[in-house]
Amino acid sequence: MQQALAFDTPPAAPRAPTATATAVQRLWFCIHLPNLALEACGVSKEARVVVEEQHGIHRVLLACPEARAAGIQPGQSTNAALALLPTLHVEERSDLREQQLVEQLATWLEQFTSVVSIAGRDVLLLEVAGSLRLYGGLPSLRQQLAAGLQQQGVEASLAIAPTPLAATWMARAGRRACVREPANISSALRSLPLDCLDWPGAICEAISAMGVTSVGDCLRLPREGFARRFGSQRLLQLDRALGRLPDPRSSWRAPERFCADYEMTEEQSDREALFAICHQLLRSLERFLLTRQLGTQRLRFTFFHLRAPATRVLLGGAEFERRAEHWLDLLRIRFERVALPEPVIAVRLQGGRNQSMQASSECLALQGKRRVSGSHYTMAQLAERLAARIGDQLVHSVTTVAEHRPQRAWRLQGLPDGLDVVSLATARQQLYRPLWLLPEPALLPDEQGYPLHQGRLTLLEGPERLETGWWDDDGIARDYYTAMNPRGLHLWVFRNRNRSQERAAGWYLHGIFG
Amino acid sequence: MPHAPSSVEELLENPRLWRGRNPAQGMAGLASGYEKLDRHLPGGGWPRHALTEILTEHYGIGELRLLMPALAFLSTEESADFSEPGWIAWVAPPFQPYPPALQQWGIDLSRMLIVRPKTDKEVLWSAEQALSSGSCAAVLLWPERLDDQCSRRLQLAAEKGGSWAIAFRPLAARAEPSAAALRIEMRASTSGTRLSILKSRGGRPAVLHDVL
Repeated sequence: MQQALAFDTPPAAPRAPTATATAVQRLWFCIHLPNLALEACGVSKEARVVVEEQHGIHRVLLACPEARAAGIQPGQSTNAALALLPTLHVEERSDLREQQLVEQLATWLEQFTSVVSIAGRDVLLLEVAGSLRLYGGLPSLRQQLAAGLQQQGVEASLAIAPTPLAATWMARAGRRACVREPANISSALRSLPLDCLDWPGAICEAISAMGVTSVGDCLRLPREGFARRFGSQRLLQLDRALGRLPDPRSSWRAPERFCADYEMTEEQSDREALFAICHQLLRSLERFLLTRQLGTQRLRFTFFHLRAPATRVLLGGAEFERRAEHWLDLLRIRFERVALPEPVIAVRLQGGRNQSMQASSECLALQGKRRVSGSHYTMAQLAERLAARIGDQLVHSVTTVAEHRPQRAWRLQGLPDGLDVVSLATARQQLYRPLWLLPEPALLPDEQGYPLHQGRLTLLEGPERLETGWWDDDGIARDYYTAMNPRGLHLWVFRNRNRSQERAAGWYLHGIFG
Repeated sequence: MPHAPSSVEELLENPRLWRGRNPAQGMAGLASGYEKLDRHLPGGGWPRHALTEILTEHYGIGELRLLMPALAFLSTEESADFSEPGWIAWVAPPFQPYPPALQQWGIDLSRMLIVRPKTDKEVLWSAEQALSSGSCAAVLLWPERLDDQCSRRLQLAAEKGGSWAIAFRPLAARAEPSAAALRIEMRASTSGTRLSILKSRGGRPAVLHDVL
């Protein structure tokens, strides 16, 4: 749209716009990743190159230091490179993997600022003016960022400027510059070479043919002529870089649910090694959740095999949680019992539904539910550990329901609902009820109308008539009795009142008084 | 030099003298709510941080009724350190514990956890975890088998977590050795329930009638 405008109607006033006085001083931190294509292929100690097809020939795009030492240069054809170093690993450039790496970095960078922008395939921009105090000033922030990037095995060139474009250009030129005042931008940009602008090759050639070799020279050219020859787009970029025009950037948002993969270079069957990989994934989950102040209750690990179908391991918790150590504990219990049919080639970790988590203070002992400190843990932790080993459906709590039908007067509450049982304020019934309830009433044999259970039953109390539930399909009309069998067992038995069609006559055992 | 004791008190101070019953030893028991039973238990009640075994012919002859007053007390007890009352874990109950009846007995349902492991090994594992967690006041379990070694582990876990373990076992287990602090056999008949204290650490075996 803007491009079209530039051609249809020549800019009416290519006068330099005056710098817009913005109330908020912005500071952009640019991270340029010069070796992204190589780093996206994973870590390896061997000599390798990344190649890209150019005009039908595969040419070296980037070479690692070992390959460069053997004389391999970017721009060589693959065959020439292989002739120089026959053991060379050749990797095809993968846009997808590069994008994944950049997004992974952007996710990690979200801990430093809320405005992280992916500008181009190898450039990340952070607006850090608001984060300086928290991170102890610019030098300290820069140090933390650089250390973090290095830890992730990424080579980056960093630059700081009040406008995103100026920061990008300086980072691309490899200047370790830090410009804080808008007034100093033009002097900082002056000596930058033209290729850091990332303009099309034809334009750069045309400009350098005029004897213009640096950004400073470009800035000195007459604005009207510059716009006419090279397009108003370029002039616009120069103005934005100098801060004369606003340059809004959209901030990148990581997906709401966590999903990360770990691909192995070779098949892995050692449990400890797999466990270490899961730990690493859990740590990135923790970072992801921490930056969003979220916690999750469910996780899914998927272990991919070469031939066999993937093995899934689901973990569930009683409370929303984000700590990697916590999940690792549960995984350890669960992992003992997981049978892996084959060695694993990749691991994926997916987070379930998230919920915002309040930061908790951990120093006041009185607030915690913990009864005894040390190796002991809370009830929620215990329930999680049990569920992790024997399955979540098998760990539950119970509550009563205001209902006359005995089998409906209670219900189970599973772990996902949490352990905080919602007690439906039922009046405590003053009726004599058995402590054990049978899952289904059991038909008792009878003898001359008397029910039998290890002998003839003696009816002690009753009948208590329960006739309710006509509004749904599960209505009952029963007379309940307390009975005792010859061995002294107290039983809760009933007889159906309407002995029509399917409701069979006869005595049923429904509970034991225990 | 032979030294003749001059009084009974002096004789009792002699460390070589072992006395069968010393109520000062061990902690106070947890009142069972049945006076007749309390009188025969050391410390006047259930042993709190230990394993109790209840041997019955069938389930449902009153073994739960025997425990209910003590469990109700535990589920609502306010402890000294302002923490919440402990939980009551049921591991592999043979039937469904019926919440309305439990509520009638005064048990706080919000402090109950029911666990139904599929194998006997998991029953013991879950019970041990619950006992040693420190957050369960009582753990009831219905294991299929419980050998000497497992009962010792449960006993140690109960001591570690300060929890009361109650294992329900068939009458056949009477002959097996056990590390339990208290073993009670229950037999029901139409005339009433007979309780036999088979083993009681710090106490004496006894046979009680009409406790319930």
